[in-house]
Amino acid sequence: MDRSSELDRMKHVAFLEMMMEWIPSPYESQEINRLTLAYFTISGLAILDALDPVYKDRIINWVLSLQAHPRDRAELENGQLYGFHGSRSSQFHRHDAKQQDSVPNGSHLASTYCALAILRIIDYDLSSIDSESILISMRHLQQPDGSFTPIHLGAEMDLRFVYCAAAICYMLNDWTGMDKEKAKDYILSCQSYDGGFGLVPGLESHGGGTFCAVAALRLMGFIEADALSKSTVATTINVPLLLEWCMQRQGVDGGFQGRANKASDTCYAFWVGGVLKILGAYHFLDKDALCRFLLSQYSGFKKFPEDVMPDLYHSYYGLAALSLLEEPGLIPLCVELGIPTKDAI
Amino acid sequence: MSSDDGEERVPLSRRPEWADVRPLPQDDGPNPVVPIAYREDFREAMDYFRAVYLADERSLRSLNLTSEVIAMNPGNYTVWHFRRLVLETLNVGLLEERDYVDHVAEHNSKNYQIWHHRRWLAEKLGPKAANKELEFTKKILTIDAKNYHAWSHRQWVLQALGGWDDELDYCQKLIEDDVFNNSAWNQRYFVITRSPFLGGLQASRESEVSYAIEAIMANPENESPWRYLRGLYKNDIDQFLSDNHVSEACLKVLKSGHNFLFALSLFLDLLCFGFQPSDEFKRVVEGLRNSVASSSDANLATSVCNILETVDPLRANYWAWRRSTLPSIVC
Repeated sequence: MDRSSELDRMKHVAFLEMMMEWIPSPYESQEINRLTLAYFTISGLAILDALDPVYKDRIINWVLSLQAHPRDRAELENGQLYGFHGSRSSQFHRHDAKQQDSVPNGSHLASTYCALAILRIIDYDLSSIDSESILISMRHLQQPDGSFTPIHLGAEMDLRFVYCAAAICYMLNDWTGMDKEKAKDYILSCQSYDGGFGLVPGLESHGGGTFCAVAALRLMGFIEADALSKSTVATTINVPLLLEWCMQRQGVDGGFQGRANKASDTCYAFWVGGVLKILGAYHFLDKDALCRFLLSQYSGFKKFPEDVMPDLYHSYYGLAALSLLEEPGLIPLCVELGIPTKDAI
Repeated sequence: MSSDDGEERVPLSRRPEWADVRPLPQDDGPNPVVPIAYREDFREAMDYFRAVYLADERSLRSLNLTSEVIAMNPGNYTVWHFRRLVLETLNVGLLEERDYVDHVAEHNSKNYQIWHHRRWLAEKLGPKAANKELEFTKKILTIDAKNYHAWSHRQWVLQALGGWDDELDYCQKLIEDDVFNNSAWNQRYFVITRSPFLGGLQASRESEVSYAIEAIMANPENESPWRYLRGLYKNDIDQFLSDNHVSEACLKVLKSGHNFLFALSLFLDLLCFGFQPSDEFKRVVEGLRNSVASSSDANLATSVCNILETVDPLRANYWAWRRSTLPSIVC
């Protein structure tokens, strides 16, 4: 292990431990998704094998306190998701309400995924949470075409939330939360003419969308592990075309682009690299070139080197990408779930 | 009263019209993780928002408060949701609201909530809103011709509200501006396959093949028209193999001796599907093989993989795998 990687590791740990205790005010604009910031911080530290056990109880208590609980079973059929709030900002206590019996429920599918991912990272026993409320209520968020909206209040519907739904069901080990066949059909309709996946049918192939599609199919059991080495022809997606699209995303600078003819960005080393990993094709990419690209970004990974503050999103996905590269000192990932683990899926 | 004006912002706690409201702070519990260091202005505005949201107060001052919060943070979906409730209750003019969204969206063109709110508005306004929405997305695309949100909204508008007539021309213009704009190529595919006025992929195929090949010849190193060309034969491999234009385009680029990576890779795909190459193809490939000094092989497809492995070292492992998994039928 060379000195530069080692130095980076300490800087990343220091950065993430700081974020654990204090997120700077520019992140106010992401406050509704504070659980996602927590996921980046906690998962990042776990990948660095530096998540101090002293945080465990604090994390558990805080995450669990964000869960939305129905008053009774009947409420589970009111069309709302009873999952996890993204932050305290959208969460209200019943004792705050005056005349009304109910309080606004701001729980969100993506926050629910982040909450469960965090609990899983710290080895919290998920069978002790109220998973029934999550599974019953999330069905209401699935649309007739198989896609998911993340919240009953109304929001965009795209592949990101199909992925969240699949990951939630997988982690809770219960598929009653969604209609898998319909979700699969929706995913298939997102495969573009060039083999990648757009976030919505008809949209341009995109690294993030492609990850959500392939990871969700894998979690739902519609793609086998190492699909490439199996002789069975994929009846779901066009694998050769997808593979070709993914391979073409690595640029001369060694990094990965999210779409054809765009600049490389750290995060796509995870999104697109992750797809290759799921397909059993990770060894096709040029690992040395990618590693050099990732490490060339300085302290914390930034979208472009001229940014001053390390940005949590890119810092995290840079670490995740380095983990896929088996960088020494980093914990391996369960790519499909987007969390570090020592168990194979 | 927002900080946008350049005036000193008066805290809500000192505004007489808010005197009767008790702000509702977040209760983060005893030992939270990842606490955000809110600025005072932000914290205060959100505490007042939470109060009116919980009380479900659908008033003008609530509406103005949502504008103030959105100016500080356009990413909170609860705020936007409440704004919609207030707009409906107060029966605010939708066109007035659209002007407001135009203004906010221009400075936040990559924010999901704003685009969703635009869609909500456009749905309410109906098909007569189509032109304005297409105009607006065009404006955003002149700033960033690849803005994914703008393209997503544009595709939704076309399918939900109409306005297809000029779309193919628009794609053409964008491609002329930047032939490497993959979003524009994708939109072109979207139009020819989904426009209710164009008769579908098969009907447009011949003219689109010419269009793609023209772009390929001008810039053979451009991935977009190659993918587009291949996409024109989606689910129709027989046509893909038998259409001379495709193989001739490959051959022409290969003969030029430069920027031939995509041509060679498409040629490999053709071979894998059973294409029977002419002697000229074999000669040209042999010439390339010599010029890059890659290893020879009796099997043409193997030679092609060897060349690709040599000239595209970034993907050397992939080309080696392609070579090892060539179908037995292949030349």
